[in-house]
Amino acid sequence: MKPPALLRMTAPLREDFEIAYHDIGSAAAAPSLALVAGIHGDELNGVFVLSRLAHFLRGVAAGQQPGHQLCARVIIVPAVNILGVNTRSRRWPFDSTDINRMFPGYNAGETTQRIAHAVLELTRPAHYRVDIHSSNLDFEEMPQVRLYEPNDGERSTARLFGLPAVIERRMNAIFTSTIGHAWRAGDGQSFVIQAGQAGIVQPAHCDRLFRALVAFLSRTGVVTGVALSDEDEEGHYFGLQHTFPLISEHAGLFVSRLDVGRWLQAGDVIGQVYDGFEGELRHEVKAPIAGLLSGIRRQPLLFEGDLIARIQTRQAVSDDIDTHLHSQGQ
Amino acid sequence: MQIDHDSILTLELPYREQLQLHRTVFHGGDGPKVAVVAGIHGDELEGLYVCHRLAAWLEELGRTRPHILRGRVELYPALNPLGIDTLQRFVPVFDTDLNRNFPGHREGLLPQRITEAVMRALAGAALVLDIHASNVFLREIPQVRINQASAATLVPLARQMNIDVIWLHGALTVLEATIAHSLNSRGVPCLVVEMGVGMRITPAFTDQLMTGILRVWRALGVLAPDLALDELTHEPLLADDNNVHYLNAETSGLFIPEVEHWTSVHRGQRLGRIVSPHEGSVQSEVRSPVDGVLFTLREYPVVYEGSLMARIMEVRTEESVQ
Repeated sequence: MKPPALLRMTAPLREDFEIAYHDIGSAAAAPSLALVAGIHGDELNGVFVLSRLAHFLRGVAAGQQPGHQLCARVIIVPAVNILGVNTRSRRWPFDSTDINRMFPGYNAGETTQRIAHAVLELTRPAHYRVDIHSSNLDFEEMPQVRLYEPNDGERSTARLFGLPAVIERRMNAIFTSTIGHAWRAGDGQSFVIQAGQAGIVQPAHCDRLFRALVAFLSRTGVVTGVALSDEDEEGHYFGLQHTFPLISEHAGLFVSRLDVGRWLQAGDVIGQVYDGFEGELRHEVKAPIAGLLSGIRRQPLLFEGDLIARIQTRQAVSDDIDTHLHSQGQ
Repeated sequence: MQIDHDSILTLELPYREQLQLHRTVFHGGDGPKVAVVAGIHGDELEGLYVCHRLAAWLEELGRTRPHILRGRVELYPALNPLGIDTLQRFVPVFDTDLNRNFPGHREGLLPQRITEAVMRALAGAALVLDIHASNVFLREIPQVRINQASAATLVPLARQMNIDVIWLHGALTVLEATIAHSLNSRGVPCLVVEMGVGMRITPAFTDQLMTGILRVWRALGVLAPDLALDELTHEPLLADDNNVHYLNAETSGLFIPEVEHWTSVHRGQRLGRIVSPHEGSVQSEVRSPVDGVLFTLREYPVVYEGSLMARIMEVRTEESVQ
């Protein structure tokens, strides 16, 4: 059966294109959950996981998963920026517009405004809405839930994913043009998930994200009969002023052997900065504060002022700089 | 008059090189300081040429009548030098719009360090002109765009700029991250000039704007009051969110305009067609929804459904009101 499309459009020289989605469960009710990925065409972990999740839920709906039952309607958009996915472009490739800067959109406006409007129309009625990202080509994020000036219900529900970290961040002016912000205009609850790095599919992060989404479906009663694994229980909540962005004051070639998601003591070595011409060690990057390494730079070419890592801290730190940073990677 | 070339920021690049943010400063007397910034978007070049022309005018002034400069003029032709040098609109590597990174942060990423340094350098200016050149898709008549919140201060200045349109727009939160909003909210008047088209230079627009800039500088006391200057040749029409009509493509294809930019059009007039290279028939006809003036016209022919082809400012004559 041909899947439904949230938008159909003509193309200048190719055949018409459409942004297809999965609509699983009883169409009689409003959707309980809407999941969106691939607003940025280079963030592939979410595209992969949502396509796999749709496959799983279709199996549940068809009775192919013994003991499981789908009790609500779920909307899944694995990729919004379809032309971007096919041409490996983060933005809408024709005019280099970032679709996640076009919300709430406008159905008679520019192409990307029309796309934003259609995505919002489809997903806004859902009670729970989740937008999945994978940072950018330069940076790797531990799978985490991000909350932007949430309400208490969202703070509480965010834990149901069972991801290792729920991180609260401040809003900034740029964030007002994202889908995450546009969703807030209505009732219901909205979440942003960050998992991994753009440009590749990372199986370990994808497995973690898949389990998180299934756990969420189970704990919200959308799917029953799922046996959840115990290993994902330990989650940590980091409020505002518990994110420390580690900014480099050195340029050069940065290398690190660390994985995201590990705990650091103050003084632990994070990586090294080498002079890319002379080859000498310029600087050893050490954790200035103890905490959870939630994200790390994977791009070796380092500018003065670049973000090397983010550390989630137990003690309060200033989030002055961090407020400026979260337009990157989302 | 003293002329200095200096840099307001030096940042190390990963491999051996440095990024510097250059400016040229013309010192006259103790009069007010004014500045021109351009090249925030690496594909917008009109403002770079304006800076060249102003530098040439000021250098000539320095040779012949240096006492005319009573204040201080600062030219910042390329706030996004990496973008201009690599033909990219955004800040290369960071893939971010520099004009959504204001007011910046001294300890932030490179784009925020640039914007913070710019904000610091421009503090205390009596007027900053932020010159833009649309993008590669659309051609714009010389105009000044003003946030309605700053209209009282800025519209009187804009009227003297020898431009064709003043466009008052509503306040959008996302625009709070622009240089204009950041400066105006800190009490530094900043006018946003839009003219021409991306990746091109339109010398006639520069001539037109030069007249306005010099007259405004004279009025502010940057130039001596007795300096003789060309008279204004353009009087701006006032556009706002109520009289501007957007023409978005109904279908994808090639947009072939049939009218010149900056002409009067009447309701129902055909402005162009959208055609397909695959077949001979016309996909869509583009007609004006109102009587008005065509002040934005698409320059880049390929359109997607929704692409902006033109903007028309409705002109309500007494006849059309009846």
